[in-house]
Amino acid sequence: MRSVWAVIRREYLQRVRSRWFVFATVGVPLLLVVATAVPVLLASRSEAADRTIVVLDRSGDVGPWVASALEKGGYVVELASVGDEERVRRRVESGEVGGYLVVDRESLVAGHAKLVVIESPSAFRQLGIRQAVIQAALEFQLAGTGTDVAQVLAGGALEIERIAGSGGGMNDPAYAAAYAGSFVLYMVILLYAVAVMRSVLEEKTNRIVEVILSSLDPWQLMLGKILGVGAVGLTQLAVWVVAGGAMVALGLPALLAARPGLGELAAITGGLPGPSFFAYFLVFFLGGYFIFAALYAAVGAMCNSEGEAQQAQFPVMILILAPVIALVGVIESPNSTLSVVLSLIPFFSPFLMFARAVGGAAPFWQVALSIVLMVLTLLGVAWVAGRIYRVGILMTGKRPTVAELLRWLHQA
Amino acid sequence: MTDGCAVRLEGVTKRFSGHTAVDHLDLEIPRGSIYGLLGPNGSGKTTTIRMIMGILLPDEGRVTLLGSDPAQTRRQKVGYLPEERGVYKKMRVLELLVFLAEIRGVPRKVGRGRAGDWLDRLELDGWADRRLEDLSKGMQQKVQFISTVLHEPELLVLDEPFSGLDPINQEVLEAIVLEFRRSGMTVLFSTHLMDQAERLCERVCLISRARRVLDGELKEIKQRERTGVVAVSFEGPADWLAGPEVMRQEAGPGAVHLVLHEGADPKGILRRGVASGAAIHRFEVVEPRLHEIFLRHAGAGTTRVPPTVSR
Repeated sequence: MRSVWAVIRREYLQRVRSRWFVFATVGVPLLLVVATAVPVLLASRSEAADRTIVVLDRSGDVGPWVASALEKGGYVVELASVGDEERVRRRVESGEVGGYLVVDRESLVAGHAKLVVIESPSAFRQLGIRQAVIQAALEFQLAGTGTDVAQVLAGGALEIERIAGSGGGMNDPAYAAAYAGSFVLYMVILLYAVAVMRSVLEEKTNRIVEVILSSLDPWQLMLGKILGVGAVGLTQLAVWVVAGGAMVALGLPALLAARPGLGELAAITGGLPGPSFFAYFLVFFLGGYFIFAALYAAVGAMCNSEGEAQQAQFPVMILILAPVIALVGVIESPNSTLSVVLSLIPFFSPFLMFARAVGGAAPFWQVALSIVLMVLTLLGVAWVAGRIYRVGILMTGKRPTVAELLRWLHQA
Repeated sequence: MTDGCAVRLEGVTKRFSGHTAVDHLDLEIPRGSIYGLLGPNGSGKTTTIRMIMGILLPDEGRVTLLGSDPAQTRRQKVGYLPEERGVYKKMRVLELLVFLAEIRGVPRKVGRGRAGDWLDRLELDGWADRRLEDLSKGMQQKVQFISTVLHEPELLVLDEPFSGLDPINQEVLEAIVLEFRRSGMTVLFSTHLMDQAERLCERVCLISRARRVLDGELKEIKQRERTGVVAVSFEGPADWLAGPEVMRQEAGPGAVHLVLHEGADPKGILRRGVASGAAIHRFEVVEPRLHEIFLRHAGAGTTRVPPTVSR
């Protein structure tokens, strides 16, 4: 077992230490955060003068409503009457205030207003000002009716009550989590299964495999490799989850405290996945990864070059792509017979059953059944892949035909 | 009996899609000897070695390695340097050595110590933390050689260990092999460098066209392969050279070569020489060099080998 452990260790350390891994694990999330945070911060960041807006009221009554809506968005607002326009214009030109907003009767019926500034504000700020005008107009028109305009504008809410039974549809945030989660699973499983194939291929093409196989059995080498690469995958996922968690738990409150104008961001915490999401993710990642890594290891063992492997992996590629294509359909009607059947196929379960489970559509027995089927498939795949690996790893020359592959299965 | 043999092959045969790489090969390698597996290119040396190492399985026949230990322990007693040598190019030298020792059951700490000693000895001590890709081919080969001995094997199997090394390093390696031999290790190596085999081997096996053509102790083989030539150098009368034993005389550089009739005894010639009063400086039954034996047995054959076509 020391030998297998040595293979796992080598495979893990070589990868984790590589520049590529550090970049993908730390760099990519960092880049994502920077890419999303910087424009938001830049847009919301401004001088006191910039945040001061003069509301020039031509209608004579809507002005205060707009002013109050803008103040809620974090602006400092001054009200002025039509006669002051020349003076206000000069204040804008001198940079004393950020700009002035002209509102009139048109604003009340069409949410239309004119902003006079030196430089056009960012799209983000334009949106904020536009929403303030719309909100003010509606609040003005609906005053006294008891309408919660802010709530209506936020898109209302649809509460779903399920009558107890075998699963139902998916509600909104679960839908998104299921879709995103399945997609991440697909990418990570493919990425690391292909890494196993590359690693097998590398050992084969540079011939070191002959030395290694004089020291351990092919299945030990394959097992060590798959476990080692899998551990790298788990490490990467763990870093991402911890980093994401830290961002939401520490970064977001800090950001909100610093920029109260970004209040809407707080809403995303409501759509975040919970512990059951991560538990399902882990289970289906492991199942899918082991199945596909074994298949890809076999593909690597029967090829002699990257180019050959590109072609030979096609059948495996179909197995992993089909469920991703079916994903949207399954999420839309998670309990149709087709969805249930597809999600129980062991090669598809990591993506489809995961989506249904996370969305709350799959009853527990289906999830359990899919896990059992995956484990059985894994054993079968390991048996087949191990044999192909055993014979193929030392073969050079042309790629075997299907008939030859079947012969290998008998022979090994 | 099995115990006396480090490696025993009985009727081992391997075929590759239509052509026979090794044909009913019998081989016995006694423990504690240096054994040379000789043969021209494509004669089946590497295939034989791969079967000995259990990397290829023979189609027929049986390979017994170090008695009948279970596979795992057996592996840990054998060091193997394949002909096509590969390394993990991105790994560092010491890391690779420790890894290759570890998969043969050597704890990491022990492996690191031994690897350090060997790197010193082969003058690679400054390279321990460099990546393999930074090393020259010859240096990589030395690293690979080190990796075959870190687990202190009982049997060392080296496939063309000297090819690609400069003469200085070849000599270093030869000295190490001889040292192993003194400490009781069995060394099997293949080569087509006959000088090397002549210097190192006690026993050789010559294979040609997948079959064994010669096998045994080098000394015996040489005696058996004597061609009946006596080299003589002397001063004085020369009439004693002629006699019933001598077929013809050839004047060589610094010596006269007497080609004898088959089975003739050279003692009579020497007696006549002494009686004639000539001052004889040299009277030597010339042993053929391994090189000549090789050519005699394999050289003619190879040209007749049809090109191997794989279907």
